[in-house]
Amino acid sequence: VTPTSLRTIAVTVNGKSYTRVVEPRLSLADFLRDELGLVGTHLGCEHGVCGACTVLLDGQTTRSCLLFAVQADGHEVTTVEGLARPRAGAATTDDLAAALELHPVQQAFWDHHGLQCGFCTPGMLISAVELLKENPDPTEEEIRVGISGNLCMCTGYMNIVKAVQSAGRVLRGEPPLPPGPVAEH
Amino acid sequence: MVDVKEAPAERHYTGGWVRRREDPRFLTGLGGYMDDIKVAGALHMAFVRSPHSHARIVRIDTSRAASLPGVEGVLTGEEMARVTNPVRVRVAVQAEPEAYCMAYGKVRFVGEPVVAIAAVSRAVAEDACDLVEVEYEPLPPVVDAEAAMEPDAPLVFDELGTNVLWRQKFPYGDVAGAFAAADRIVRERLTIHRYASTPLETWGCIADFDRGTGMLTLWAHAQIPGMALGAISHYLRLSPAQMRFIHPPTGGGFGNKERSAYAAVAALLSKQIGRPVRFTEDRRESLTALVASCDGIMEVEAAVQADGTILGMRIFNVEDEGCSIEFATIHGLVMLANLANCYRTPAIEFETASVLTNKTPAGANRGVGKPFMCFAIERTVDRIAQELGLDRVTVRQRNFIQPDQFPYETPSGDMYDSGDYPRTLRQALEQIGYEDLLRHQAAARAEGRWVGIGIANAVEPSSTNFAYSRLINDRAALTGAGEAARARVEWDGTVTITTGATDTGQGHETAIAQIVADEMGIPMEHVRVSPTFDSAIAPWLPVSGNFANKFSGTDTGAILGAARKVKAKLLELAAESFEVAPDDLKIRDGYISVKGSPTQRKRIAEVSGPAYWTLAGRPAGFEPGVEAIHYYNHPLANLPDAQGKIRAQMNFANAAHVALVEIDRETYEIHVQRYLVVHDCGKLINPMIVAGQVHGATVHGIAAALLEEFVYGEDGQFLTSSFMDYLKPTAADMPVIETGHLETPSPFTPLGTKGAGEGGSIPAPACIAGAVEDALAPLGIKITSLPITPTRLRDLVRGATK
Repeated sequence: VTPTSLRTIAVTVNGKSYTRVVEPRLSLADFLRDELGLVGTHLGCEHGVCGACTVLLDGQTTRSCLLFAVQADGHEVTTVEGLARPRAGAATTDDLAAALELHPVQQAFWDHHGLQCGFCTPGMLISAVELLKENPDPTEEEIRVGISGNLCMCTGYMNIVKAVQSAGRVLRGEPPLPPGPVAEH
Repeated sequence: MVDVKEAPAERHYTGGWVRRREDPRFLTGLGGYMDDIKVAGALHMAFVRSPHSHARIVRIDTSRAASLPGVEGVLTGEEMARVTNPVRVRVAVQAEPEAYCMAYGKVRFVGEPVVAIAAVSRAVAEDACDLVEVEYEPLPPVVDAEAAMEPDAPLVFDELGTNVLWRQKFPYGDVAGAFAAADRIVRERLTIHRYASTPLETWGCIADFDRGTGMLTLWAHAQIPGMALGAISHYLRLSPAQMRFIHPPTGGGFGNKERSAYAAVAALLSKQIGRPVRFTEDRRESLTALVASCDGIMEVEAAVQADGTILGMRIFNVEDEGCSIEFATIHGLVMLANLANCYRTPAIEFETASVLTNKTPAGANRGVGKPFMCFAIERTVDRIAQELGLDRVTVRQRNFIQPDQFPYETPSGDMYDSGDYPRTLRQALEQIGYEDLLRHQAAARAEGRWVGIGIANAVEPSSTNFAYSRLINDRAALTGAGEAARARVEWDGTVTITTGATDTGQGHETAIAQIVADEMGIPMEHVRVSPTFDSAIAPWLPVSGNFANKFSGTDTGAILGAARKVKAKLLELAAESFEVAPDDLKIRDGYISVKGSPTQRKRIAEVSGPAYWTLAGRPAGFEPGVEAIHYYNHPLANLPDAQGKIRAQMNFANAAHVALVEIDRETYEIHVQRYLVVHDCGKLINPMIVAGQVHGATVHGIAAALLEEFVYGEDGQFLTSSFMDYLKPTAADMPVIETGHLETPSPFTPLGTKGAGEGGSIPAPACIAGAVEDALAPLGIKITSLPITPTRLRDLVRGATK
């Protein structure tokens, strides 16, 4: 790589501004992971199918594996690390759940077992956040279509659908769905 | 029958719907997966892979690649072969081919690593791969297992003189008598394809060879880390004492995450260069060269009476192992575990062959061989019903092993522990409203629609007994089943558990904390379970790890064993200070108290702390600390008897699946409209986790039947190297998985549990096939081959209506 081919970019990620010098061929996903250390964004296929690398770019879901970091220059990115907020007064605890106020979608995935290995989870959460923003009260069918850009190899999607339903209720100001079996007779 | 059968007095957590403690990490991007691990100064490895399915390597020129700035090391297969030992078959067969961790002399499948390059970044390593020149002399490939068995077939390994690596006949019971007594012989030929559950995280490793100490620290994915450690130390000619194997939290496994050869290549580069070397497969590499299930062919003959009673079966099974050396024979051997499925079949002859072809090496995938065996048996049972003019439910009920027959020994020696198969099916039919479905189907058929109902029953075996190796080689060292765990009561009262039982997303951290907390009488929050396996910290065996559904039936033995040992030590220490006998004490809510005198109590830390800090003046023989290791040897893992009977697996969950499908007459798309699973995996440690396993495994099985297939051209070219070609199910593709639950405890396991992880993947392909065939029954179409894609269905329909 010759120095002249490097580019300087400024990107806001989870509300924080970063300026970095990068190779033009560096993907946004690799930029987030390797340059910024935000390893919550996962790479499952690097060809735009699996959705594990999904982030919000100016509020819209984007495959960070299919975007170059230089294309994010001047834009705002939200990754899974940007969903939860530090809980006031709890900064010193080593209990993650106590230290962070999880986003309602994160909380619902936890309460309803919407994850197993966790590898698809960051992308799935980001897609669910966008889905519920655009359609606060989706039907089950709309949820299934809405998350169909994210592959999960573990859950069979059943509990993810329920988690999104429950998160939707919370975001609408309704009580969450109770934990327990889904579609069990 | 087990050595840890004493039940804890009270169970607060076990059996409860307990949220997973590991989830907040995963939900906030702190999963700590392989690629998240930072190792200073690490180089990145990339492979030059074979574009040919079969070719002689004439010349390799790496000079341009080696001189690219940023390249630190280049390794060819030939160089590797000079300094490493060859790859061994895990279950030793009579004649072993000569193969190494990378291609040497010949390439034998598309994607086989030929040259490895380590460079300052993955991008530079890939740039360098493009500069490697390899001259190949293409050879005729063999990509079909039956063609590979022909005497004049091209040879995958010339030195073997055949592509049939292993072929053996297992006669169990009076098969000839059964066939002589039969009213009818029902025959079917069935085939299954190659597929894999494709964990979303691809395989990876980081190898750091310390030339000063001669120690290799290896972070690597492996389903069976101890065996991977054994393989890698063998390749690299290291003592196991020179290896530290670390298995971090993992983004899914399903049996696929085994690439010991790659880890050895990275380790050798690290040793040569003197820097850590890391590698993460990209998806194309993973799909091209991961371990998938074998594709296979099965010929089944069933000897039946006119009333549908099955007297005996003859099964000839061909497993296409691809170019697999390491995992060859395993599919055929594991199939012994569900050879009889849920039926009383008294005599079975099973002949199986492992055949090498110029395709990706096969290996374990969720269920290993058992989905195919279940598919073959269940399709045959449906065929028996059709040919005898009986209802398929009737034929199943007539042949089921009955609840009062447990423990039930199958012809091949498997000991089914418990279950109620007739009730499982009855409940499934009731829950789905079978009569309503039949009416719906009749009405739809009257309108010319293709609507079908599928039914499949399955045993879902767990905990593999590697002594099946002795069926092939009576001196095989690898036998049995076991696991190891360490419990340490820290001086603050926290109990730390480390174990060789690795986790790939099944929630072991939570499940282990549940059972340890109950066993010891302490709050769950006082139990810490290491999410990372580290061979230098955790006790382990070569048979440790995450495979064969073994957590419920094997790992629990190790974990409870270790917990009981430290509990006994705590009580012994407390007994001294209370001046009572240990039996007079109990632990509850984290307090040790004198029975019947609840005010006389101490916190656990008050007892464990002095065992670490206050050592002087203790009586002779006092052993400081409160720590114990338990190596659990599975008591049911036997050796084969003189007739070749063996418990290939040791616990048997069971299930009934029912599906309703409708096929679009225009597009041949198969819509799964209802899917119900009634399952019985004994006692549950955490019903929430089990439900997730049932959903996930079932969807794996449905997708295997309808969507997923690794396709090779006639030239052995690999045609499905992306998720655009290898179709994974999305949420929009899959049905709601309805479930029903039965609970017949296993008398053979410490907690009455049975494996739950593979279950759904075993009967689902059979169930879907049955439903599609039923939908097309008016056309007389038989579904004997998987997967069932719209294109194949169209061809079948056109063939039938010509």
